[in-house]
Amino acid sequence: MKKGLKLSSKVLSRLLIAGLIGFVTTFTVYMFNLENKLIYYVIRPFLNKHYDSQVRDRRIV
Amino acid sequence: MKITDKLIASIDKKLERFDPLWRAEHGQGGQRSRYYDKTGIEKYREWRGVKDTMYDYSIWLKNLGSMGLMVARNPVRVVKGIWEYRWMGSYLGTFIFINRLYEGYRGDELRVAHMGMHQIVASLTRLIGRVLANDKRLGGGPLSDTIVPMDEVIPPLFMKGFKGLTGIPLQLLPEFIICDIDQQLPPHYIDVAESFGLAADVCSRCAVETGVAFDDAFPIFGKAFLTTNMPCNASECTSMFQRRRVDLPDMPLTFAMQHNTKEGNEYSVQILKDAIDFVEEQYGVKYDWDNLFKYAKELNEQNTIEMEKWEFFKTPYSPLSGISETMYKLYEWAAANGTEHRFTKNDRKVIKIMRKCYKEKYLPFGGKTRHRAFMWGPSAVYYTDMPTWCQNCWGITLVLNMDSTMGHNMISTEDPDQAIKDLARMSEKAVMRHHAVGGWENVNALWAWAKSFNCDMILFNDNIACKGMNGVHAVMEEQARELGLHFIFIEHDLEDNRSCPRRDMRKCVNNYMSIVLNEEPLDPTLVDFDDSEAY
Repeated sequence: MKKGLKLSSKVLSRLLIAGLIGFVTTFTVYMFNLENKLIYYVIRPFLNKHYDSQVRDRRIV
Repeated sequence: MKITDKLIASIDKKLERFDPLWRAEHGQGGQRSRYYDKTGIEKYREWRGVKDTMYDYSIWLKNLGSMGLMVARNPVRVVKGIWEYRWMGSYLGTFIFINRLYEGYRGDELRVAHMGMHQIVASLTRLIGRVLANDKRLGGGPLSDTIVPMDEVIPPLFMKGFKGLTGIPLQLLPEFIICDIDQQLPPHYIDVAESFGLAADVCSRCAVETGVAFDDAFPIFGKAFLTTNMPCNASECTSMFQRRRVDLPDMPLTFAMQHNTKEGNEYSVQILKDAIDFVEEQYGVKYDWDNLFKYAKELNEQNTIEMEKWEFFKTPYSPLSGISETMYKLYEWAAANGTEHRFTKNDRKVIKIMRKCYKEKYLPFGGKTRHRAFMWGPSAVYYTDMPTWCQNCWGITLVLNMDSTMGHNMISTEDPDQAIKDLARMSEKAVMRHHAVGGWENVNALWAWAKSFNCDMILFNDNIACKGMNGVHAVMEEQARELGLHFIFIEHDLEDNRSCPRRDMRKCVNNYMSIVLNEEPLDPTLVDFDDSEAY
């Protein structure tokens, strides 16, 4: 019984810590708009370069 | 007051200087202070107070979850789709888009807005996943031959009579939705179309669809295609280009242009009957009226709730207004149209909130509304968040708009003959057909709409390339003057942001508000700014 309680409190505390880290990380990304900055300044320019280089003729014969 | 409420209130007090609404009120900047010049990228997201910011954050996680689920279901196809299609890359700008739409929203208006948007995100991500998984350009899939590509302005409910088949508006993903999200995308397709000789003065929606066809950027599925003449003859032409390039047998659904007549409706009914015969022949599936009735009940419930919403729209106590109402209604009509239960569930929740707000005499947007506006004319889709800008800058609440007045007729759930008449009626009154090019009496109905919704202002979207609406400018201005309504013409080019950029559209409103009405803006940072490089 005591062992079980110890184990579950260990698991709970680790979950809480993981949850806190997850919250801090995601909230930071959210609040500082990091995902959109990455998309606008890095991902989209890379993709646009690729799209501009495509030769388009994709008819299905 | 509970301890948590006291704690939240003290944090709000300490951090209020980061709230752009507070900053605008106290002359310390405003919404635009948070942005990098030209790009439309926020330095940081809007601080709305603890409760509203946490709510916004939780919805961001929820929307992220929907997108993650789409990728997790078929990661290879999603990556292939992004690599193949330029328009798929533009969907990465979705969060930037949502932030723009709901800038300045707080309290109940923020909640109903996000509730609607999440349904759109959940529905759209499922649709994208299904389309990419079955796109023959990417290798096809198990449903490739049971999807019926159809034009985006044909109400999808009609296809629910074909059990086992899925009607997907072909232009929805590569054009209809994405042009709202990324203003930089449509010009590429317009240029493609014009490089093949298409005239530069045609409606830019049709030009984009033509360009998508020529660029081989439509996903390909199905065995036969339902095209249409809706809403106008430019669409007829673009349908012809699409059918040639997509190269599937097609049937054009040529609904009656002048449809406010018994004969017009009878003609449209026959068109639908012919379409049923065509799909039955091409796909070998019989039309099942019982299956249609099942989904028609959903749509009827949505429309019943919609009629109740209209009563609240007529009062100052509606938290649902502006772009949160418009975007939701347009998607619900064009993409869902009774076929997804999630929208009915959402409508039930939203109407409860609206009833509560009316009871409590809740004034949205901090009670700063100065004008109630009705919006007419097809909206510039490269400036979807213009209603939000009007609200934040000048206190103009967009009560309702033209597109939201369509598709609210009930569909019979018992009699196939009546049901097909009702479906035909719904199709005739599709986006832009009924209100812009379907007859003068429909355009002239604007005044009755504005009056019944207690509006003192009309924002008239003037698509400079729309031949159907050419010539009404002076007539409408004259009538507005006689009726004593504030009337602002906002020129735009529908999907081409180069002819009439967003900044010029804002100037139309700025000039009227400052010169004619001599009003001061609520947020001076929003009056004039450069967002030419924004999505």
